[in-house]
Amino acid sequence: MNLRYLVDNAALWLSGEDDAEGMVVSCRARLARNLSSSPFAPKATLDDQEQIIDQVLVAAQQSRQLGNAAFFKMNTLQDNERRLLVERHLISPALAESKGQRGVLFNPDESLSVMINEEDHLRLQAILPGLQTAQAWQQVDALDDDLGGGLDYAHSDQWGFLTACPTNTGTGLRVSVLIHLPALVLTEDMERVMRGLTQMTFTVRGFYGEGTNAVGNLFQVSNQSTMGVPEGEIVDKLAEVTRQIMAHEKEAQAALLKEAPAQVEDKVWRAYGLLAHARVLSSQEFMNLLSAVRLGRSLGLVGRISSGFINQLMIVTQPSHLRAEAGTDLSPEERDVRRADLVRRRLAELGAA
Amino acid sequence: MKCEACAKREAAVAYTHIVDDIKKTIFLCPVCAEEKNIDPPAQPQAEAEDVPKLVKEVKAELTNLVEAEEVGGVSCAACGMGYDEFKKVGRLGCSDCYEAFAPQLERLLKRIHGADRHQGKGPVAARAEQPPAPVAQPQATDQLDQLRDELAKAVSTEAFEEAAQLRDRIRDLEGEQRG
Repeated sequence: MNLRYLVDNAALWLSGEDDAEGMVVSCRARLARNLSSSPFAPKATLDDQEQIIDQVLVAAQQSRQLGNAAFFKMNTLQDNERRLLVERHLISPALAESKGQRGVLFNPDESLSVMINEEDHLRLQAILPGLQTAQAWQQVDALDDDLGGGLDYAHSDQWGFLTACPTNTGTGLRVSVLIHLPALVLTEDMERVMRGLTQMTFTVRGFYGEGTNAVGNLFQVSNQSTMGVPEGEIVDKLAEVTRQIMAHEKEAQAALLKEAPAQVEDKVWRAYGLLAHARVLSSQEFMNLLSAVRLGRSLGLVGRISSGFINQLMIVTQPSHLRAEAGTDLSPEERDVRRADLVRRRLAELGAA
Repeated sequence: MKCEACAKREAAVAYTHIVDDIKKTIFLCPVCAEEKNIDPPAQPQAEAEDVPKLVKEVKAELTNLVEAEEVGGVSCAACGMGYDEFKKVGRLGCSDCYEAFAPQLERLLKRIHGADRHQGKGPVAARAEQPPAPVAQPQATDQLDQLRDELAKAVSTEAFEEAAQLRDRIRDLEGEQRG
């Protein structure tokens, strides 16, 4: 398997740096771009798609950021390999599932990637650990300039960058943070926070699962509109909104600790105990236990577990990662056993170190 | 007034013709007019028919220009995507679709983003190659917008002659932009 090496790769965005007291897992900035001379996705033929890939690859070879990038064509990968890339946030589920000539470029630490022939000809992405939205924007901006020098982007003076879907027209910029909000979910304040956000043209949604029933209490906050506000302002605004949400979460955490300190601590350590000793772990149970441990880390209760460790564990326990490590197809039951094995092993290594 | 051809019967028809750029009007009686193949009642009748026809034409034009969203018949000449198709799939077919569906998209973009004008960076290739920003295009677009407004006004006040002229100027300008 081509992509097996990724399972052990330490992606930069999982490192736990700048984690804003354990609350922010990662942030990303992505730009939608299209070539002016080729039809957009709904009208592109296989030949068009092939030509687009060729043009992007030529531009990428001359780019500083993508000089040593890996390139994979979707139709040369197995289903599981494509899903592995989705789990690592290198491609979207849409790219993994669609037919035709599509591909992805990404650099060794997986912080920069370019999806080719997704909804737009190019989707450039910078993904970094923690709350580093300004840096993520800077990196994707530089990559855009670098690639754009060799490509003729579809653009109009009035409407900016022209995208397949009008929801991305203008800057083509979507910037987001992946944020952990266990106390707001527990105190049932999440809905109120979400309503406030929508009024500020930002959206929040469960990162795994839908709405307020987000698995693992992980939410993604992102800008809704892409036109009329310069990129830098969109990025600043998102960081500001994120800090407001964090303040709400901190307040809720403090209230929980004050009202029921023993119960909170108990919840954290029970979760730790289950992770350290369980023999079967479903994905959902694992994510909820990991959330409790992450909360413990935010509250300073489980000092030796780092955000980086938690983030890494969250990714390597996903179905396609487990399958890649096993080197063979797994039934859901087998997967749950392997998940529990892996988590137990990692926690034991941590204890021994 | 007597007929200028026979000088006997009373003139009933004004016959205007242009010879070598000189406009001449002669007044004829119905008999002489018929001899010259001029159908006296034809002129006023033709005019009467023309007005509603023009109204129809101008209204159709307006519909195309401004209200195609409701009618849905427009399509992009470059990729063949129809506006109806776009509404179904939610994705445009190529960069030219933005021109083909400009009036509809302008409203749509405003609804989605609360803005219909880009602010922020442009393509790096354009920044390097054309230091002075291209001015012809935006000016022409502004003028087009203005003409479309005037056309709408002319139709609403039933100033059809003016409307027809405006329509022709809009067509010319659009032709220039495409060319």
